Amino acid sequence: MSLKNFSELFVDLDSSNSTHNKIEVLKNYFLSNDPIDNSWAIYLLTGKSNRRFISGRYLKNLFSQIYKYPEWLIDTCYLKVGDSAEVITLLLKNKSTSRKKKLSNISLNELLSKTIPDLSKLNEEEKNFKIKNMWETLPEDNHLIFNKILTGTFRVGVSIGLITKSISKLINIDEEIISHRLMGNFEPSIDSYKFLVNKNINLQELNSKPFPFLLANTIEDKIFKHSINDFQFEWKYDGIRMQLIKRSGNFSLWTRGQELVNESFPELVEKMSHIKDDFVLDGELLVWNFKEQIACDFSLLQKRINRKSPTRSIQIKYPIIFIAYDILEINGRDIREVKLENRRIELEKYFSKWQNKTDNNISEIFKICDLIFPKDWPDALIYREKSRENNTEGLIIKTKTSIYSSGRKKGIWWKYKVDPMQLDAVLIYAKGGSGKRAGLYTDYSFALWKDQELIKFASAYSGLTNIEIKELDKWIRKNTIEKFGPVRSLRPEMVFEISFEKIQISKRHKSGIAVRFPRITKWRKDKKINDADSLENAYELMKKIL
Amino acid sequence: MKTKQEYLIRYKDGNLYCELADIWIDPSKPVKKALITHAHFDHFTFGCEEYISTKETAILLKERVGDNIKIKTFEYGEEFKINGINISFHPSGHILGSSQIRFIFAEEKWLISGDFKLQKDETCKQYEIVKTDYLISECTFGLPIFKWDESKKIANDISKWITNSPEKTSLLFCYSLGKAQRLLNEISQTNFKGNIYSHGSIHKMNNSYKKLGIDIKDTIKIENKKKIDELKGSLILLPPSLSKGSYLKNFKNIQTAFASGWMSIRALRKRSGYDKGFPISDHADWDGILEVVKKSEAKNVFFHHGDSQALTKFLVEKDSINVLFFGK
Repeated sequence: MSLKNFSELFVDLDSSNSTHNKIEVLKNYFLSNDPIDNSWAIYLLTGKSNRRFISGRYLKNLFSQIYKYPEWLIDTCYLKVGDSAEVITLLLKNKSTSRKKKLSNISLNELLSKTIPDLSKLNEEEKNFKIKNMWETLPEDNHLIFNKILTGTFRVGVSIGLITKSISKLINIDEEIISHRLMGNFEPSIDSYKFLVNKNINLQELNSKPFPFLLANTIEDKIFKHSINDFQFEWKYDGIRMQLIKRSGNFSLWTRGQELVNESFPELVEKMSHIKDDFVLDGELLVWNFKEQIACDFSLLQKRINRKSPTRSIQIKYPIIFIAYDILEINGRDIREVKLENRRIELEKYFSKWQNKTDNNISEIFKICDLIFPKDWPDALIYREKSRENNTEGLIIKTKTSIYSSGRKKGIWWKYKVDPMQLDAVLIYAKGGSGKRAGLYTDYSFALWKDQELIKFASAYSGLTNIEIKELDKWIRKNTIEKFGPVRSLRPEMVFEISFEKIQISKRHKSGIAVRFPRITKWRKDKKINDADSLENAYELMKKIL
Repeated sequence: MKTKQEYLIRYKDGNLYCELADIWIDPSKPVKKALITHAHFDHFTFGCEEYISTKETAILLKERVGDNIKIKTFEYGEEFKINGINISFHPSGHILGSSQIRFIFAEEKWLISGDFKLQKDETCKQYEIVKTDYLISECTFGLPIFKWDESKKIANDISKWITNSPEKTSLLFCYSLGKAQRLLNEISQTNFKGNIYSHGSIHKMNNSYKKLGIDIKDTIKIENKKKIDELKGSLILLPPSLSKGSYLKNFKNIQTAFASGWMSIRALRKRSGYDKGFPISDHADWDGILEVVKKSEAKNVFFHHGDSQALTKFLVEKDSINVLFFGK
């Protein structure tokens, strides 16, 4: 029951590409460790906490101070490794000879519930001493885990689905039940683990938790063969997917990222609490333009997301709305197995009841999504093209007869997104990547023409294959004009097709425009830099949408 | 201080060159006379009129490229003269036959480290400390993040990796000359007692090592038509060039690993595409390089083969030695 076991688990998970293997490894870990350590392991692996106790910079400075290491040398190492916690771990290997103290065999629980949280109670000197002491008494194999937890960078290729599967196998209970138990705030404790692996299913305990979300898949050609009448069409809003739950008078607002966000949206909680019925609604939270009755840009919603207890003026400045598109439970009756078209009828029925019978006006903050009724598939395509006009991302297409199962279930819901906008741009800067991409130049900046000048308009780092990344990295090293720290300015020679979702005016950028989700969709080796687009082309694109 | 042209050994066209003796060290293009530090292909090029190396290096080279080359050989420590310059080979601990090369001229000593390591390796001679005035050292792993574990520990990790998956065929990728034989030697001393197969290129090198008196565990040369069941739970050594492409389709239910010093970095391990990485290297780590710089008592040091900036700055800040730049 020690940190050692967890370190071994990390190494095993980290060095396996097979789902089957990972599930076995997890199952064995859960079998051979304490409930309390198991609950912490789940907590860490599912990324429920990425709390940063100290920064990577602090860690590096501390190491430099203690062991008289020049900071520039640590920074040089960082460029190769791409992760502060790992750099310090590797450098500590060099220090292991000086270790004389007895090695500690601390448990995962002790480390996470006591040792590390206690650090914040100490003054700087005591804190530094404590960390140094940990470095010198922890077995070498545990350094990486320790440093990663300290800096809040613990991550490993394990999805919540994988944890769900391994627990489900461990106790032989349906994955859906486990997935339900894992939803929301998982507080590490003996009880929470015991609840998770409890072989008796107790519905009462699951009361405040959301249902696993049903997700839409990317559109498939085969659906066009079906009659248009088999499907329900909705706009695809660009907000936060949420479940709004009222059970036994208690109200909870859950994001798809399994966060309880009641505190961030008090006005919604306040209004909806007046409804007499109990319910579970699935929908989208947006900042709404009430005058024009359209969604505001996602960037405005971002101003609300991470803010707890927003002031009245913030609430007025960024007014929110919850748009429900599904009803999953009504007055204690789980209706997920009811067909979508019938759930829709229920949703409409209750919505009009609530609107009429509630004293305060809930329509200021809550509505149900409008349906779209295309005549045929070409008509659906026209609707999709129009989606930018009302600030949506395209269409959601749902099989009318579908039941509400969990996950990205194939063949029931699809997203039919509007085509991205594209511009051909010139690569002008590159920066070293971090993490998995350390040691390679993988962060790129692209420019468009303005008169005879290239003006930076977007940065992107995704979209190239590993082979292309390596090839481009080589080219970058040979075609550097200047280095500024980790950034290189490059000979303008390479043209890339950049796709993005939105374009808008921005005073903060020299180019005067900002794009959302820029990504590389093609390396246009066939194009010379003179063939690249100009800022004027970008403005045209913007006009077309407005 | 001397100008670059006055150095006994300098960089010319990207290669180490001694003008007084008109001799090149590990040249990358055909020249008249070439000193060869060891038999890896990135240190050898076809078409030189004459090669000079240790006896072992000569034999390994001939195994690899055929008898059609003219090689003169010398024992370790045996001095020979070219244009009045005393030259001698000294063990560098990299692979069998690998050497450092010392030049003495007008009471000035120069030492080319060649590829070297200080770690234990029973398949070749231990690195010999050679005193010098000028040191030209490789610095492939010239950052303090590189600190090698004992090879015994890595071998045990490999053994565990294989035995923990008895249902699988374990493919271990490693350089066919040097690394493969060192791994075989180490793995044969672990708890893993299953079958070991090796690819033709590795098998050939194993035999050469045996001929030169190195005790290498017998392995089975891998045949393409081997029955899949027979390979379950066994270890197969393959050269890294086969890790991509269709060769792996010959096997079923495999796990793969790469044995290389670079595997000590997680990002590189992840990017490499192998399931697992075992950090074991035939090059010196940071401490190894520093130790050699110190014990050689060199007052002037050049670094090549690697990113030398950090090492240079570190030594200049810390010590009174001169770290020089070749300029290519």
